[in-house]
Amino acid sequence: MAAPMELSCWGGDWGLPSLHPQSLTVMAYAKFSGAPLTVNTINKSWRTPKGDLPVLVSEDTVISQPAKILNFLRKQKYNADYDLSAKQGADTLAYVALLEEKLLPALLHTFWIEAENYCSVTKPWFASRIAFPLSLYLPGKMSREALNRILLTKGGPPLYSLTEVEAQIYRDAKECLNLLSKRLGTSQFFFGDTPTTLDAFVFGFLAPIYKVCFPRVHLQEHLKQLPNLCRFCDDILTCYFRLTVSGHSPAGQDTADANLQKLTQLVNKESNLIEKMDDNLRKSPQHPPRKLTTLKLAAGGEESSPMSRLSP
Amino acid sequence: ATLCFQAFLQMCNLPIRVICRANAEYMSPSGKLPFIHVGNQVVSELGPIVQFVKAKGHSLSDGLDEVQKAEMKAYMELVNNMLLTAELYLQWCDDVTVEEITHPRYGSPYPWPLNRILSYQKQWEVRRKMKAIGWAGKTLEQVLEDVDQCCHALSQRLGTQPYFFNKHPTELDALVFGHLFTILTTQLITDELSEKVKNYSNLTAFCRRIEQQYFEGQERDSAAIAARSSKRSLLR
Repeated sequence: MAAPMELSCWGGDWGLPSLHPQSLTVMAYAKFSGAPLTVNTINKSWRTPKGDLPVLVSEDTVISQPAKILNFLRKQKYNADYDLSAKQGADTLAYVALLEEKLLPALLHTFWIEAENYCSVTKPWFASRIAFPLSLYLPGKMSREALNRILLTKGGPPLYSLTEVEAQIYRDAKECLNLLSKRLGTSQFFFGDTPTTLDAFVFGFLAPIYKVCFPRVHLQEHLKQLPNLCRFCDDILTCYFRLTVSGHSPAGQDTADANLQKLTQLVNKESNLIEKMDDNLRKSPQHPPRKLTTLKLAAGGEESSPMSRLSP
Repeated sequence: ATLCFQAFLQMCNLPIRVICRANAEYMSPSGKLPFIHVGNQVVSELGPIVQFVKAKGHSLSDGLDEVQKAEMKAYMELVNNMLLTAELYLQWCDDVTVEEITHPRYGSPYPWPLNRILSYQKQWEVRRKMKAIGWAGKTLEQVLEDVDQCCHALSQRLGTQPYFFNKHPTELDALVFGHLFTILTTQLITDELSEKVKNYSNLTAFCRRIEQQYFEGQERDSAAIAARSSKRSLLR
């Protein structure tokens, strides 16, 4: 039996299990390959993120980057790429490199550098999930790192100002989205009918762009014009994460779940009561038990099926 | 990188006289690499050069359909991401190589102390970039492993075909040739990097084939080009 594995990562919102692309990639891969992963989302506890997330902890090994985590999962026999040919494996590597070079800078920019997005959405969201006083420092640090990365990798001559760099990275990102859309075509996943590593990476990068509600959204609008990519994201969310497609209904589903739980409890209580009464009546033989048994049967017939479905 | 676009231009079979002139002018010492100087236009980096050449009506990837073009772009990014970064890492972040080879080579056109200052500056710049993309924490073994993975992927994609997209060379072939040839022929402290590439026989055969086809012809022409370029400089 594999050792229990715990994944620490950023939490989610707007219908996503996580907002962070790398965390989302790892979670998606775990779902595709069937790896039993306990997911701990970072909240306001003092176990602050040391270094990069996501982090996988299994027994004594601590692994931090998505590529390494995926390698580790494969070694533990949770392999989603089992059916791929060698050429398809090579293609996976190439497309992941394309995503990292062309799409990631624009994603980082939308989240961390675009002033309106950062101030109104990203910073408050992340700050609310980090303990004080680190919440004052860490989002700023992440933003600076993102800017650094973009400028160092994309900002050389002939691009001299930040606006030129921004224009270039968004152009590249849109081109990358178009290429992905052409490659996906009409099939369900990138390599046929079963999802693989590439699907996990593409989902991890696309879903935040698709779902998070930012004030400045031109990349999202471009993505929405590519219906097969949108369908791809939605399919994975509904099939593998059992979240509904639109942003606000997870809240609705939560209340439905809560109601269902209450109903279950009520039903259980009632059935316990009925059993007790039945026992009492059996012990005292003068009362005919028939009525109550029929009542129990009727009640049991209605309620046994939901109970068997809902009881863990 | 120089070799990449030389190969690309050769493969385009461009109206040779025109572009070879650009090549010959490029051979003179200049600021940025690589760039071409055509007429009064200066175009740098492989991407814009490809587009420039395409605008002039020559393209190697016209025969590809959309999905193949997407694949080609993806593989080019893989090569840029892995091989280029690995080359940079080896040149600038591996202390032994830096001391013995890179510093002297980079600073050779300049007198002391300028050579040391400039090469330290470049090293600091490259190390910053490595840190930003997360390669600073990698050891040499990890970098070599990444190169191996990349070569494995390229080898798988090439298979037994003469070029990456079957019968005709494309930009990808030029790019891969440039990088692999550089790796195979540059003298470094250790031969580990070139050994990694040599493990894949179809990649070495690929390099040799392109060299024979496109560069041996050039040696014959280069004498003619040198004569022509000197004539042109006299005319100016």
